[in-house]
Amino acid sequence: MEIVVCIKPVPEPETRLRAAPDGRILDPEGVKYVLTGYDESAVEQALLLKESVPGSKVRAVSFGPSPRAEETLRAAVALGCDSATWIDSGAEPSPDPVDVARALAGTLRSLPHDLVLCGKQAGDDEAGLVAGALGELLGVPDFGYVVDLRWDAARSVFTFHRMTETLQESWEAPGPLVIGLQQAWNDPRTAKLPAILKSRKAPIDKVPVPAPDAHASRSRATTFALPPPRAGAKLIEYKTPEEAAERLVKVLREEAKVFP
Amino acid sequence: MPDFSLTPEQESLRDLARKFARTEMAPHAAEADRTARFPEEIYRKAYDLGLTNLNVPTEYGGSGLGALDQCLIVEELAHACGGMTTSIIANCLALEPILLGGTPEQKARFLTPFCAQYGLASFALTEPSGGSDAGALRTRARREGDHYVLDGEKCFITNAPHAGLYTVFATVDPERRHKGITAFVVSRSTEGVLPGKDEEKMGHRASSTGTIRFEGAKVPVANRLGEEGEGFSLAMRTLDQTRTPIGALATGIAQAALDHAAAYSLKRQSFGKPIAQHQAIQIKLANMVQAIHAARLLTWHAAWTIDQGARGTLESSIAKCFASDAAFAVADEAIQTFGGYGYMKDYPVEKLLRDAKLTQIYEGANEIQRSVIARELLRAYE
Amino acid sequence: MSGAVLVVGELREGRLVPSVTEAVGAARAISGPGTPIVGFVAGPSTDAATKEFGRLGVPDVRTASDPRFDRAPVSALAAFVAQAAGDAGADLVLVPGTTFGRDLVGRLGIRWNAAAVTGVTEVQRADGAWQVRRPIFGGRATETRRLDGARAVVGLRPHAYAPPPDAPVDVRSTAVAPREPPANLWVPKRVAEEPVASGSGPSLTDASIVVSGGRGLRAPENFHLVDELAASLGAAVGASRAVTDAGWRPSSLQVGQTGKAVSPQLYLAVGISGAIQHIVGMVSSRVIVAINSDATAPIFKVADYGVVGDLFQIVPALTAEIRRVRSA
Repeated sequence: MEIVVCIKPVPEPETRLRAAPDGRILDPEGVKYVLTGYDESAVEQALLLKESVPGSKVRAVSFGPSPRAEETLRAAVALGCDSATWIDSGAEPSPDPVDVARALAGTLRSLPHDLVLCGKQAGDDEAGLVAGALGELLGVPDFGYVVDLRWDAARSVFTFHRMTETLQESWEAPGPLVIGLQQAWNDPRTAKLPAILKSRKAPIDKVPVPAPDAHASRSRATTFALPPPRAGAKLIEYKTPEEAAERLVKVLREEAKVFP
Repeated sequence: MPDFSLTPEQESLRDLARKFARTEMAPHAAEADRTARFPEEIYRKAYDLGLTNLNVPTEYGGSGLGALDQCLIVEELAHACGGMTTSIIANCLALEPILLGGTPEQKARFLTPFCAQYGLASFALTEPSGGSDAGALRTRARREGDHYVLDGEKCFITNAPHAGLYTVFATVDPERRHKGITAFVVSRSTEGVLPGKDEEKMGHRASSTGTIRFEGAKVPVANRLGEEGEGFSLAMRTLDQTRTPIGALATGIAQAALDHAAAYSLKRQSFGKPIAQHQAIQIKLANMVQAIHAARLLTWHAAWTIDQGARGTLESSIAKCFASDAAFAVADEAIQTFGGYGYMKDYPVEKLLRDAKLTQIYEGANEIQRSVIARELLRAYE
Repeated sequence: MSGAVLVVGELREGRLVPSVTEAVGAARAISGPGTPIVGFVAGPSTDAATKEFGRLGVPDVRTASDPRFDRAPVSALAAFVAQAAGDAGADLVLVPGTTFGRDLVGRLGIRWNAAAVTGVTEVQRADGAWQVRRPIFGGRATETRRLDGARAVVGLRPHAYAPPPDAPVDVRSTAVAPREPPANLWVPKRVAEEPVASGSGPSLTDASIVVSGGRGLRAPENFHLVDELAASLGAAVGASRAVTDAGWRPSSLQVGQTGKAVSPQLYLAVGISGAIQHIVGMVSSRVIVAINSDATAPIFKVADYGVVGDLFQIVPALTAEIRRVRSA
């Protein structure tokens, strides 16, 4: 089985956020980009599937600038991906995720794939657009919010679960599919030291980013802003629990107006 | 010009250690310290990731790292817990004599099976009657045909109750002082090898420290490292290699102390403002960060010197001595920054002082380091 | 600006989900009085939903009544939405902030050749283009994006816009008939479903009030305090990671970075200290209330109102007070 996992270099979660000098996007200066939550779960899912289906191969694909995309791909190789493709985005710091899907689709058309995995959304822009756009571009079904995907060899279908607001759904579908995975359900593994050292020497296939479609509608970031610092909670003063309850309900009704 | 930037490979090694320290070690550090528990499950995970046999070449199943790479990892681990780090890197110390003094046959025979699975090893030099004066050690090794018979006692041996392999320094003739000392690789399963109980320690409580008694323990001649009488030199050359990571370990403790103190100083209010805005606290923080920078750079420099192929006795002694003194001083100032809370066990900084203290004592007490430094220094003026 | 706004409906047990109502509210709030607002709904039966659109003042509903939609993947639906948007002369499609909506937006963006964004809290027209604001980095920052081109698909964040008041109109429904989507898009089958474990109230991401409990409750048998407070408010029940990791409550109730992100009108954090992992899952709630015995707990930094005290006394008193007020 040929599995492709699409990963995005994302600022590490504890990054201190600040706007770039042009005010449009996050300032990338000094930011460390890593594989994060959803994508870690996607890579883990790819590796679990590879381990359960003999003869499978996993290729990691990433769109982004140097060195962060290469570094993220090496991290995926250290975890156990067999090969890596880097779509060199050049200098563009903040593309429309739908354009990223276009670039991924362009690359995937020339790579064998029975299954395309990605995080349900990226940990930074939280757009969650890639899986759907990629599915449409490749002409295959896509699903987001997926956990625990398996291959049923007897029936040649993938089986998986999806969490919606009120249901846990069980699905089955033949490949090829595009799947957006939930995070933190499969306890992603940690790369071992020898594998990390080996991944430094792994070949990374570099492909150029396709010329953007001039006719495509797209979104672009115009401002990046941090919320004003919260003033901190207004503390309710009270002598008895009953008084605390009464005062809290009063401010919630009259001041915050959150319930009648 | 010197280059202080790390390679991407070094960055990724440091990331691995940092992640392991944060997710696997730090959450258990306070509990293991409080209960003096030896968290072997963490050491197993460290082995699985390749963090225990850092200095053993890959051909024998180790990680094959140089001194600077080791230091980067050790500092990150020690940021989470100094005691656990000592137990994790104890194999490096115990196996170094085999790397330095073993024949190719011995390396393959001892290291390959040892590294192939989780295991701990101990470096057994110190004795109850003296640590720093290694030439005076009393454990006897008597040759009997194709065996030596070992009798005596070692103490303060890291991981001793849990280790399966010991590198033991014994004398074939106490009269010969240094020149009688001989090194052996001893399996714990050898009859007459009797590890004793865990010591109750002030700090490093997640690490295990104990005695090993030898009562007529028969060790094959094939397990002798080098010739009779070469043990002292082998021990000293070993410590030249492993002293620098102790500088890194101390730096990690110091950095943790500063991180706690700085974060607390921004949160804690006095006289109507965060204490970080009081000059008295700012001076503390500024002094702490200077000491840490200096400790780290001295450590990196010593490691770099060793990676160039030099013995690095002077550089590693300076690094270990300075960094461990700095760690104790920084932890002390961190407690002072916390005030009364710093003295309480519910807060994380008093542990750092207790852990830092050991770095001034073990792997060559700082008094010995200073005498080594002075000796190396004066040599240039003679 | 002359195009219509198409609001994509989503059915749950034959009725429109609350987020769709909010999307109609958004359509009203952002468009001029002359702008047609058109509904879209697909399902085995669309009559009830069509009437609901009418009640909300939407006179024109495009429908795809097809039994296959009972269990069809979102992938097959995009062609119908694109067709409906084209038929209605829309230049903006609003999509509800649900798992269904999230899965639809990217595909529809390509299908309909439109700029596409999700998780939007604010939409406005500026300099001849749609402009949106959306929280990113778990609510630690926001970005503004400009949607270039003639068409836009905007996925809304739950509770970003209020539902419109009822304004019943006569409603006309028109069937949508796109070119049949490729057969493989219909193939995936939903073979089973079971309700996600939740309290008896609304689901976490739908609810306009969420009450979450944390480690401060000390033991699983005390969690009923949170359940009762939630019941008194008609709120959904959530939990911190400490609680779900300890198995006191199922992980489907976890609010936070590795759980659900919620943005209700009111979020009550009971005995939750406020680790960053939890904060990013709830910080975009409109009003946050924290009840905690530790005055230095970080939750009080993000809360709007706080009660420092023993939750075992405060929470029952609060539940009683809310019941009293509600019944008055």
